Amino acid sequence: MQHSSNTIVLQVEGLHVSYGTFQAVSNVSFDVKAGEIFGLLGPNGAGKTSTLSAIEGLLHPQSGNITVAGYNVKENPLHARANLGVQLQATNFQPELSVSEILQLYAGIHGVALTKEKLQTILADIKLEDAARKRFGQLSGGQQQRVSLIIAMIHNPQLVLLDEPTTGLDPQSRRQLWERMEAMRDNNHALLLTTHSMEEAEAVCDRIAIIDHGKVIAIDTPQTLIDKHRNDTEVISVSRKGKITLEDVFIGLTGRTVRS
Amino acid sequence: MPTTTIPSNATVLSSLLRADFTTQWRNRKSVILILLIPVIILIAWKGLIDKLGGAFVLSNCITIGLNAIGLMGYSNAIARDRDKGIFQRLRVAPLTAWSIMASRLAVQLAMILLVTSAVFIAGYYVDHISLSPAGYALGFAMAFVGGAVYLGLGQAIVGLIKNAETVNAVTRLVYFVFIMVGMFAELGALDKLGEAVKHILSAGMQPQTWNQHSTTALLVTIGYAVLFSGMGIKWFKWSSK
Repeated sequence: MQHSSNTIVLQVEGLHVSYGTFQAVSNVSFDVKAGEIFGLLGPNGAGKTSTLSAIEGLLHPQSGNITVAGYNVKENPLHARANLGVQLQATNFQPELSVSEILQLYAGIHGVALTKEKLQTILADIKLEDAARKRFGQLSGGQQQRVSLIIAMIHNPQLVLLDEPTTGLDPQSRRQLWERMEAMRDNNHALLLTTHSMEEAEAVCDRIAIIDHGKVIAIDTPQTLIDKHRNDTEVISVSRKGKITLEDVFIGLTGRTVRS
Repeated sequence: MPTTTIPSNATVLSSLLRADFTTQWRNRKSVILILLIPVIILIAWKGLIDKLGGAFVLSNCITIGLNAIGLMGYSNAIARDRDKGIFQRLRVAPLTAWSIMASRLAVQLAMILLVTSAVFIAGYYVDHISLSPAGYALGFAMAFVGGAVYLGLGQAIVGLIKNAETVNAVTRLVYFVFIMVGMFAELGALDKLGEAVKHILSAGMQPQTWNQHSTTALLVTIGYAVLFSGMGIKWFKWSSK
């Protein structure tokens, strides 16, 4: 399932993030190439959100280097963000604005000219032609995700961050979103995805990194990770159906303990 | 890698302004409420105008409106948007933090203009209070200076308190205290702040009465505005988490 070129779009090197004395991210390094879907997996509190926030420029890491499309996030934040599309977990658009107004806002702040025809094309593409005047809060979960994704892509960024994009979606909407992600990859975009669904990671990710206690503990293609760890005692002990899955590897590597 | 183009500040600001003014328009019930309270008080005080003076009554009513804008409107809108992650979503776009706040403040400046105009119009038609052109112009100018104090205070409250519901409760309480103190009581610094704002408004509306005390009141008002805004900016966090 490898489609990636060799162009590195996101490079994270030696990232350290701490809150007071708590070390949330410790020496995390990875890269994401154009035409690749890269999954960042980890239990709750593992350091995924802190890593994403550092890439987005929302927090300043204690040390480390992050470049997006060749632009250093710290030195050229606006250029880095101009090459970045983000779909955050929560609904975060003004509830008073309609779908078309939100699209116009985000097109405007990315310097994209959005004519009425282009707006209609975008809405038709996500099957929301009739929802242009609806408020964002009036849309279903699947519709909201489609709007969020199209906003993340409105400026055709080289890198797209998707933070648990399929949470709460029904199977049909989830499959549709996977297809959209794959289409983005085929158009040579780099995608960084966080998810708790191992099924999703196995289905769409070209490579994954498993992060725990702020450190990357494994990084490879899903199948290679399964093959590499299928004989580990911890992995076999958590296997449920006799067949080793990515979830078994994940739990085997990160432990059975439920995180807060 | 292809060259990256950053949208101009003017493009970004016009998009933000359109969205923020649309949001304000959709919240027009609260806008009407902010406008109505000072106008109703102005009409209710009609009988006191001969005794207190037109400029004094107008300045009291405008101060009540400025209170509502800074404490009820601005601070609650900021707290809600921060709670919902609206700011964080904007901040991952290629724009500066100041442009987000400049757009929000522009909406509040428009509100100050609207409240002051509403009070002047109601004062003219209902209470037959008329000012000189210079009086109206300075009245507007002083309303912006006075409004900055309450916007700064609202910013300080949002900076100090992260929870949107607590911000709502605290600003209502502070608003109520300001109104009560302004009308019926004397309460140290709070009283001085309200009095300073009312004084510069009143003296601005009658430029011929401007004196040393007015200049001191103006400096006090600017001082409070700088102090509150400084505290609010220093303590402000873009995320409530």
